Amino acid sequence: MITHLVPVVFSISEVFDIERITENPDISFSFEAQPQKKEPLHLYDTFDWRAWNKNTAIILSRNQLNLIDIDNGKKVSSVGFRRTPQSFFPEEIPDDKTRSSLQAFSKPRAFLRYGTVSTLSQSMRVLDRNMKTVATIEIRSILPSFAQEQEQKRFITLTPVKGFHKEFEKLTRHILTTPSYAEKSTYRNFFIALLDAISCEPGINASKAPVKLHPDNTILDSARELLLSTLAVIHANETWIPKNIDTEFLHDYRVAIRRTRSILARLQGILPPEELLTYKQAFRELGRRTNDLRDQDVYLLEADRFRELLPPAMRNSLNLFFTDLRNRHKKELRSFSRHIASEKHKRFLQEWESFLRSDPPSDPDRTPEARRITSDVAVASIRKAWKKVLRHGRTTSPEATDTELHALRLDCKKLRYLLEFYSSLFPRKTLRQVVRQLKNLQDNLGLFVDLSVQQDYLTTYLSSLERGEEVLPLAASIGGLVTALHHKREAVRKEFHHRFEKFDRTETETMFNELFKPYRQP
Amino acid sequence: MKTIALYSIKGGVGKTASAVNLAYLSSLTAPPTLICDLDPQGASSFYFRIVADKKYSSKKFLKGNKKIYNNIKGTDFDNLDLLPADFSYRNLDLELQEEKKPQKKLKSNIQELNTEYPYIFFDCPPNLTLLSESVFAASDVILVPLIPTTLSLRTFGQLLEFFKENKLDTGKIRGFFTMFERRKAMHRQIVEEYGGKKRFLSQIIPYNSEVEKMGIYRAPLNAVRPHAPAALAYKMLWEELMHEIA
Repeated sequence: MITHLVPVVFSISEVFDIERITENPDISFSFEAQPQKKEPLHLYDTFDWRAWNKNTAIILSRNQLNLIDIDNGKKVSSVGFRRTPQSFFPEEIPDDKTRSSLQAFSKPRAFLRYGTVSTLSQSMRVLDRNMKTVATIEIRSILPSFAQEQEQKRFITLTPVKGFHKEFEKLTRHILTTPSYAEKSTYRNFFIALLDAISCEPGINASKAPVKLHPDNTILDSARELLLSTLAVIHANETWIPKNIDTEFLHDYRVAIRRTRSILARLQGILPPEELLTYKQAFRELGRRTNDLRDQDVYLLEADRFRELLPPAMRNSLNLFFTDLRNRHKKELRSFSRHIASEKHKRFLQEWESFLRSDPPSDPDRTPEARRITSDVAVASIRKAWKKVLRHGRTTSPEATDTELHALRLDCKKLRYLLEFYSSLFPRKTLRQVVRQLKNLQDNLGLFVDLSVQQDYLTTYLSSLERGEEVLPLAASIGGLVTALHHKREAVRKEFHHRFEKFDRTETETMFNELFKPYRQP
Repeated sequence: MKTIALYSIKGGVGKTASAVNLAYLSSLTAPPTLICDLDPQGASSFYFRIVADKKYSSKKFLKGNKKIYNNIKGTDFDNLDLLPADFSYRNLDLELQEEKKPQKKLKSNIQELNTEYPYIFFDCPPNLTLLSESVFAASDVILVPLIPTTLSLRTFGQLLEFFKENKLDTGKIRGFFTMFERRKAMHRQIVEEYGGKKRFLSQIIPYNSEVEKMGIYRAPLNAVRPHAPAALAYKMLWEELMHEIA
């Protein structure tokens, strides 16, 4: 039932003259111009352009945060916002409608200010005989930044007022027929012009999408494609990690490193052995450098949950632990930021990229497998990894020891990565079912390992505390926390065999076979 | 959706001024808001410089929902819309008599607006007719502006009497004093006597020549003179009312 008040956007050239429109005697409206003013527009989106991908522009101007439908220029929601922060989280927004729209794009991620576009804006009210506003006109010039020597882009937006559609149509016709050098355009063009002005290309970071592989390509080519795409993720996140905006950058970064390592682990006989070893070690080392940082991120994110595990009286003494953690995190982040900014690290990534982009000399002795076709390797390695999970799962003792579960978790992770790497080769629906089965098992194992790591960390922290009466309450709280985590972990452990049984069933087997079906040898 | 009628049997008590200002305040706190001008004199339409389309008439109004929706106009203020009155509304009563259930007509006619507007205001003509009965049934709150005079109070009594006789819900009725002048002994006396009573809101709107100037500004007082004494009083009144409705 809601009639959309969709504005019409025109692009105008340098020689455009508004007076040709306003002073045309054929039009029965009068125009009331407001003074021209400079108006900076601040453009926001998540790191991976989630709003853009959902056709939404997030623009902060005149102390209003506006969400605008890029397809038609209609304001979806608007809320007062008196700051222009580098970044903000959806939960900071008081208005329900705006907050939930933002959360629908991304709950955990911050919205970042990609840039600020200087514009000149002049508004005009279009009045009828009763001096009632029947539409508004806005002429906006996008001022080029100093670095660019391009011409100024200008747009007119004609916005209707509810119930004055006839007047609106008349005005649209009027603007188009008056020889004033105005051409019909779209809000999308306007928004792209804004992004151009700050040299932003939307979607550039959205490299999470699976790489589309061709089943008949050689595995060498496919592997290089996969590694280049994870390298793009590594690059993109390195820009943001030092800014300490949200923890997802580091998380994505680590996932990209782990994926790289996981692919490399499967490239025996495909890449030359010396290079393979060097890069494997280098990425293991890079991943290791982020371990502490990620742990600290996790504890700080879980701070509330940790507190709730303790009785209220014991909660406050944990503050010392978290302050300590925050200080360490700060130090660690500084040190890691220095590392990724270092010449050595930059050179390493450059070498890696040129290694991936250059064709290695074909040497059947050193790389005998390089010419195998992708689908063969995909099916073989997925099958192998899956059988390994089954073998290890079935031989897990009834007590399900820590070592057994840790090892099995790694097996599952490997299988999961393989399914993700080669996802473009398989039927989507079956793949989704397989992944769902696996995820159910992974959730159990993942939680188990997380709880173990947390306990270990806290126990180590406890033994590192200096002796003295003042740390007693803190020690007691940490002790309480370790106990609570232990109980949770044991509950998760008990659940393991049940979860594994659900995975180790004929149904799962059928699904895997279904997955391999397109590539079955005749 | 909450519906609020500004109603009085007596004319010239500040119905339109109250409807326009309260609707404006509502559009700020609970957007968007619709104001339905039901008075053939079209005073609130005039305040917003809006004239109904030539084809719009009381007949379309009685057809309801879609016909009403298509004739809603945006005012010059964000999130405040208006359904203008047409001079043909003077026949509304006669036309209502031909309807099957005239008392329920308005209520069913605006049902589809439910999803769009959290608040709808009715600016009613000053009389007690079939249209008024239809408004009574459609409104969640019936706000009655009263000048602190005996004549005003008498009509308020008549309204209550009418509600009781027709077994309507008197709980919907809220009176409040407008055009209060402190220098007048009778005003002071009446306000003192009725101020805190049941069915009366405690906020009083003082006499303020700025209210009359709304006809010159042709805009809500709260939009153009938000610090005028009457504007401040309307703001307090709206807060009191919101508190009571919520």
